[in-house]
Amino acid sequence: MKVSIEGQFQRPGPLAPEADALLVMHRRTWISRRTTPFAYLLNAPSILVIVLLVGYPICYSIWVSLHRYDLRRPRIFRLVWLQNYFDILADPDFWTALRITVVFTVIAVIIIVSVGLAVALLLNRRFPGCGFVRTVILIPWAIPPVVNGLMWQWIYDPKIGALNALLRWLGIIDHYQGWLAVPTYALGGLIVAHTWNEFALAAILFLGALQRVPAELYDAGRVDGCRSWQLFLHITLPWLAQALLIVLILETMLAVRAFDIIYVLTAGGPGTSTTTLTWATYLTTFENLDFGHGSAYAYIVTLITLGLSVIYFRILYGRGEFEA
Amino acid sequence: MRAARVQRRIHTVMLMGGGLLVTMYVLAPFSWLVLTSFMHESDVLSVPPRIGWDSFTIGNYLTFIHASGVEAVVGSRAAENTLPGIFNSLVAATATAALNLILGTLAGYSFARLRFPGRMPLLLMYLGSRMVPGIALIVPLYLTIRTFHLLDNLAALAITYLTLTLPFTIWLMKNYFQGIARSLEEAAMVDGCTWTQMLWKILIPVAAPGLAAAAIFAFMTAWNDYLFAVILTTTMASKTAPVVVAGFVTDVTTARTLMATGGVLAVLPPLLLALMCQRLIVQGLTSGGVKG
Repeated sequence: MKVSIEGQFQRPGPLAPEADALLVMHRRTWISRRTTPFAYLLNAPSILVIVLLVGYPICYSIWVSLHRYDLRRPRIFRLVWLQNYFDILADPDFWTALRITVVFTVIAVIIIVSVGLAVALLLNRRFPGCGFVRTVILIPWAIPPVVNGLMWQWIYDPKIGALNALLRWLGIIDHYQGWLAVPTYALGGLIVAHTWNEFALAAILFLGALQRVPAELYDAGRVDGCRSWQLFLHITLPWLAQALLIVLILETMLAVRAFDIIYVLTAGGPGTSTTTLTWATYLTTFENLDFGHGSAYAYIVTLITLGLSVIYFRILYGRGEFEA
Repeated sequence: MRAARVQRRIHTVMLMGGGLLVTMYVLAPFSWLVLTSFMHESDVLSVPPRIGWDSFTIGNYLTFIHASGVEAVVGSRAAENTLPGIFNSLVAATATAALNLILGTLAGYSFARLRFPGRMPLLLMYLGSRMVPGIALIVPLYLTIRTFHLLDNLAALAITYLTLTLPFTIWLMKNYFQGIARSLEEAAMVDGCTWTQMLWKILIPVAAPGLAAAAIFAFMTAWNDYLFAVILTTTMASKTAPVVVAGFVTDVTTARTLMATGGVLAVLPPLLLALMCQRLIVQGLTSGGVKG
């Protein structure tokens, strides 16, 4: 019953084999000898920007992370090698922050991917009003995280919040709760606010991918007697694989880096219950003005995100679909 | 026959129910923000909130236009700063989008059309650079920009936004150009166009939807940023809308209705842009961002 995709339909890559042959011919004709210098000339401004604004800061932050550099004692700039890293790894607060980051990221990404996929599957169908819903889901995407945080802050408000009013009206709670004052609820509330802001982008990306699934595949599947869940499993999901990976990369990065929403909504509290690694980096650097430890923190976050992205790229490569 | 029709109708109703659910999920929180911005402070503060035609007012919006008016006793400073903040955001985001288009088109073209040694490592370098979180970049950027006395400068802010936007723009433009037939360019070259003429007269007009989508994405990213802006800006000469709005939150004296109005005003430009360019966004992503 399995529908073979690869056999019948070539996925639309950037260049078909014939086009590639043409390209080889062309390389020998009109841009032959000048190709490499020309390509680097075109890339020169971008390389300059990335090297100056990303490459240099990375090197600088590694350098600072190897030093004792505290703006409260600005005259001391002493090389301590990896001591800052050891300090952080020995600090239980780091492990708490790491655990909170993992919990926040995993739950948020799962929700964003499931809701985004469900919405995309829904909007891929024709029904009265579907154009309207497609427009509506652009709203969360267009809202800056700071405004999003502001909006949810009032929804969760202990005295006049809409959530309290709603739950009381539904008879679920007897008296108003301070949602952001309870550690578990605060983290949950943060996840709800973040996922509301981010699910729309996932839905738009999934919808884009769904619209490229050839209808013939479904027809072929139906002729073979597939049920709708089988069509979904054997046709829709494989076609969505790359979009899924891109959404996973994007949303994992966004969740690990979530900053604005935490700043506005919980400021890492109550206690340390919503202090993620990004927030801990911010506190160390800009509250304690400890640039040495702050840079070490930032570099640990960078290593984690780089590690994750290498894993993601491996998956893309491993499936043989990363065509550049 | 009739059974099939009934089944299809049930199906449609279920789909519409799903659509209604999504609409509510999106609109319920947002409408609360919009509603608050049109209410009197006392009605918002009562428990449960009084919602009705009596409490409807546009006074909050008027406060933002005449910040020194009678209405503006509470939180007038934040209200005063909102419109200049939105103006600053518009300048920074537009500049970011323009820079992205120039750099992204050139680099994107090279990846789409040319094979050259180091092509793949270079592309991975661009994409990899986006993996570095802003929080790791901001301290060195801050120190560098301070050295050049460019703190509180909108141009410097827009240039730092390239780190957040350029890799995605290059990726998007590469994929978009790859989707355009080469024959157009070849014909132009055969007809004796120089490469620059070909780019301006042939390729850019054809790639306009992709360029527009890339510009919108860069604009949105720049508009949404808070971290870079809060650290690199110090006065209203360059504070952007998110910085002003976040300032509301920490200022306990500001009236909630005013905060909500500020929030709505800060959302308005990107929201209008998204709604106007809905088709372009989805189209640009479909053909550029994600390859099936």
